[in-house]
Amino acid sequence: MDASTELAAFELKQALSANRLRGLWRIMQGYRLSYITANLSLGLAAIFKTATFMLLRYFADHVVGRPEATPILPWIAVGFVALATIEGTLTFLSGRLAAYTAENVTRKVRNYLYDHIQRLSFAYHSKARTGELIERVTSDVDAMRRFFSEQAIGVGRIFFLFTINFTALLYLNVRLALISVVALPIVLITSIFFFKRVTKVYEAYQEQEAVLSTVLQENLTGVRVVKAFARQDYEKAKFEKENWGKFLKGRRFFLMHSAFWPISDLICGTQMLVGFLVGAWMAIDGQITVGAYLAYAGLVVWLIWPLRNLGRLIVQTSTGMVSFGRVMDIVKEEREPLDAGDFLPEGDVRGDIVFRHVCFEYEDDDSSVLEDITFECKAGQAVALLGSTGSGKTSLVNLLPRFHDYTSGSITLDGVELKRYPRKYLRSQIGIVEQEPFLFSRTIRENITYGVGRQVSQEEIEAAARAAAIHDVILSFPQGYDTLVGEKGVTLSGGQKQRVTIARTLIKNPRILILDDSTSSVDTETEAEIRSALEQLMKGRTTFIIAHRIQSVMNADLILVLDKGRIVQKGTHTDLVSQDGVYRQIYEIQTRIESELEKEIHQADQPGERTPEPSLETQSPQPL
Amino acid sequence: MSDQYFDEEDFNTQFSKKTVLRILSKTVPYWHWVTGFLATVVAVSFLDSYFTYLSKRIIDEGILAGNKSALTHIVTIYGLLIVIQAGMVFGFIYLAGVLGERVRYDLRKELFHKLQDLSLSYYSRTHVGWIMSRVTSDTERVSDLVTWGLLDVTWAAANIVTSAYFMLRINWRLGVIVLAILPLIILVAIQFRKKILHEFRNVRRVNSRITSAYNQNITGVRVVKALGREDANLAEFGELTSDMYRASYRAAWLSALFLPTVQIISAFALGGVAWYGGLQANLGALTVGGIQAFVSYITFMMWPIQDIARVYAEMQQSIASAERMFSLLDSEPEVRDRPDAYDPGSLQGDIEFDHVTFYYDEDKPVLQDFTLKVRRGETIALVGPTGGGKSTIVNLVCRFYEPRKGVIRIGGVDYTRFSLQAIQSRIGVVLQTPHLFSGTIRENIRYGRLDASDEEVEKAAQLAGAHDFITAFEKGYESEVGEGGNLLSTGQKQLISLARAVLAQPEIFIMDEATSSVDTLTETLIQKGMENLMRGRTSFIIAHRLSTIKRADRILVIEDGRIVEMGTHAELLRLRGHYYNLYTRQFRHEKSEELELYKLLGAQAV
Repeated sequence: MDASTELAAFELKQALSANRLRGLWRIMQGYRLSYITANLSLGLAAIFKTATFMLLRYFADHVVGRPEATPILPWIAVGFVALATIEGTLTFLSGRLAAYTAENVTRKVRNYLYDHIQRLSFAYHSKARTGELIERVTSDVDAMRRFFSEQAIGVGRIFFLFTINFTALLYLNVRLALISVVALPIVLITSIFFFKRVTKVYEAYQEQEAVLSTVLQENLTGVRVVKAFARQDYEKAKFEKENWGKFLKGRRFFLMHSAFWPISDLICGTQMLVGFLVGAWMAIDGQITVGAYLAYAGLVVWLIWPLRNLGRLIVQTSTGMVSFGRVMDIVKEEREPLDAGDFLPEGDVRGDIVFRHVCFEYEDDDSSVLEDITFECKAGQAVALLGSTGSGKTSLVNLLPRFHDYTSGSITLDGVELKRYPRKYLRSQIGIVEQEPFLFSRTIRENITYGVGRQVSQEEIEAAARAAAIHDVILSFPQGYDTLVGEKGVTLSGGQKQRVTIARTLIKNPRILILDDSTSSVDTETEAEIRSALEQLMKGRTTFIIAHRIQSVMNADLILVLDKGRIVQKGTHTDLVSQDGVYRQIYEIQTRIESELEKEIHQADQPGERTPEPSLETQSPQPL
Repeated sequence: MSDQYFDEEDFNTQFSKKTVLRILSKTVPYWHWVTGFLATVVAVSFLDSYFTYLSKRIIDEGILAGNKSALTHIVTIYGLLIVIQAGMVFGFIYLAGVLGERVRYDLRKELFHKLQDLSLSYYSRTHVGWIMSRVTSDTERVSDLVTWGLLDVTWAAANIVTSAYFMLRINWRLGVIVLAILPLIILVAIQFRKKILHEFRNVRRVNSRITSAYNQNITGVRVVKALGREDANLAEFGELTSDMYRASYRAAWLSALFLPTVQIISAFALGGVAWYGGLQANLGALTVGGIQAFVSYITFMMWPIQDIARVYAEMQQSIASAERMFSLLDSEPEVRDRPDAYDPGSLQGDIEFDHVTFYYDEDKPVLQDFTLKVRRGETIALVGPTGGGKSTIVNLVCRFYEPRKGVIRIGGVDYTRFSLQAIQSRIGVVLQTPHLFSGTIRENIRYGRLDASDEEVEKAAQLAGAHDFITAFEKGYESEVGEGGNLLSTGQKQLISLARAVLAQPEIFIMDEATSSVDTLTETLIQKGMENLMRGRTSFIIAHRLSTIKRADRILVIEDGRIVEMGTHAELLRLRGHYYNLYTRQFRHEKSEELELYKLLGAQAV
């Protein structure tokens, strides 16, 4: 748990700020010093680069062509190597520190987001779109990383190169220095303008790529249709159109590049040449030394050319900022407080549950989902919920683990108000078997022990799997319990998944159980197996069953029939069958189906008599 | 995202001459483009070197000689050459860029055409994501290699050669000293690049695991919360991000070390120039301008070396890409026309399975010694458990696959003697999960027969029972169906795919009935549409609905690749066997649906 406390300690919320740059600065907490050092090293490196040219000046003015200075030649050589070594070391240091900062900050952000997302409320998750969320935590976080490791440091580099070299130029000769930067604003503006435009063109190119991929994907997934209709040529023509479209967009992209670079080459080249001419002129007139000219010719290169890339960096920085904003949108959301609650029992709960006038509605929606729900159940009893889709069955059971909190009324567990229990404790006491069970892309063993939070022996796992009637299925896989589930491993059927979930819940051994008994997607044999597995599971636990069939409610201690968020009928099977109402209606339909089936079969059994047109179709017109 | 589940295979590829030649052959049709950009890039590089030489002359012939007219003369030449060079820069970016796009276009086209020819068996054993990566990312890598890769290498080589030339020309002794360190730098650079590339691969690998961890955690958030696994999850994820940190930090600082290392090594050359050059200058063998030129040429040579190193490192990856791509291009379709294949003009006649055996994997037979004779115009309902072999039977009829043993005859003739086009253009297929293409409803129906008029399209829709819901849309037949048809309901998609099959006027009709239920009205429409299609046509229906099953002339219960029961509805029911079980179950299901029991119970319609 050490790791997780360390991981959880970082609070990204403090980086929320109207000013994005300030936000980014706050995120760097703990690594600011290394980031500042990275930038300082960069500045120092630029100074040593400039110093190299100054050494060249000294060399040309005071050493070359003076035989008496020959003895200091080796020192000049050592000087060059030393300066380059220092500059190189500083450059490396700066790169390493920037990477250190960027990677560490990104790691913190990733961990934070991961944890944050799993702790956001149910209300958030039911609205959020998975694809978009993943896009934000991957691509946008990576854009942030690039901001720290490349763009921010890149801008710094150009800034230092410019100021330091320009200072050196001013020192060499003010007039020459000023002449050398005349065209630079033009270069900068052209570059920003160009990169903005080309980013757009590139986006269009990427969009076309997406269109092309869609055509390809539809063709590949629909290969049977294509073949069945022998439409290969038609498909080729369709692909050709988008493929050519991509070529055209790509050509446009390169046309822009092939226009920008020579133009900026021309501007920069001319600027440099003008500098050379003026400098040389001044050197001839003796206003500057030959050495100064040499230094100038070297320095001016580092002044002009980097600016061409500044536009790119600036444009990229703005996309980095947008990404940062998108990430912070997630951070802004409120987490579910897992530990909040003032009542924390030592051991397990008993499982006496009482609902009194419970109402529930979603925050952003006034229409109530549950209204005036009142019932009670003793520990170990089974409560069955019956009703149409949207009648509130699922919402009702979601209140128990506090996935949502009821808006009024009271729910007590063992006589204590539910809201006083911390969510974490509550959830440890409740087991859920969902209608559409979700398994993780892990081994079956890991899925069964997922969330148990203690070491589980192989015997225990197998016992649970046997009780859930899934042990034999698991053994039939070549890798047994180590078989991977999902994309890269085996695909389990709905019924098999459900039984793995049952095994998982058996190991968890909760006091309260929530079951969704949808077995409509599994075939008859497994249905019976699941039923007995479920019965195993229910023994001795307070159970809430969301029932989709009358068979599974008949033995319940209490049946609640829900409609539009209200309880319309309440009682045992015997009570409800003798009442007028939905329950009896359901019961009668089932009886009717069985008798009709019997009639059908009886008819077919009459030898020589052909089955009359299916009785099912009496309601459907037979126009032919 | 599509790539995330596939760890790309490792690139231990040997430098394969054959593959490289094959890659290069893709540019042969554009050889003049290639020579064009290579020539310009060499010229650009030469001019760059020459500029340095001109700078030397400015110093020596202008400044040191105090000759202003010589200075203006040299600067004028310099200026003119800058303009010419700018034109050339335009040329090579345009040529290489557009050529790259063109090669990508060609490769994609070639791959796509190949994919249209490949048999269904290829698709059943190859993941769609894998194929997608070949067509998207591999084509990029390969075309980048033959354009930008080639360009970078040429540019770098030209820079080295021209710099060497001018250095030797200015002072050959000093030139030799400088050139001596060149191999060292190249060696160091390549080693660096290899290491860096290796680290980046690790980064990508961990990255895909991170993405999938996010994905699992978000889609499974209910379970995570219910089981209170947040802390354990975070601890696990923390290990992943630590791995990521290690790999990417290492990759980043190796990259940061690369350039300074090259610079420091070249500083030794610079020191050598200062020392030995100073001596030479004092002897009068070297001018100040010459020294300046040497300083420039050293930098000039060092820059391109990192490009060579990069291209060399990436080349291995590109070759691996090319090999995967070529493996797709070299796949042979398993089902294809015989040389003497012909079009019989019609597929009407009895269809006969004569001791047919079929398997996808040799040790797992799907159909074994299967014999069946279907009379012309007969409707066959295939029922039985999933994986029993029903789909295989219809796939064989469509000749998506061919029998491994035995013969299938249509009208008494072995159908492998017919051309694929002849068979497939006369079979109408409606799949269980209807597949529609992005586009309008009209386009999707017309897929059945491309030259059909608008009236014919609408007529087909009417026969299929799709017309009413289509015209209820604001844009009618011009409504977009969305990607994969996702703007329509399942029932609507089924109706449209029925209309598509109706329009094709097939002689044999094959339908894999959907298991998912649709509303009663749509169901009635679908039944009616099917009936229209089946009339007078030999039909194979993988049936689920009782009404469909009962309507068939013959019901086949298929299990484990064999016919376990065969006969009419009444006959089979009397057997109290497989069909009986299947029937009673489905009867309860359909009745519950019909009497709205499911609605009362809030059960998921299945």
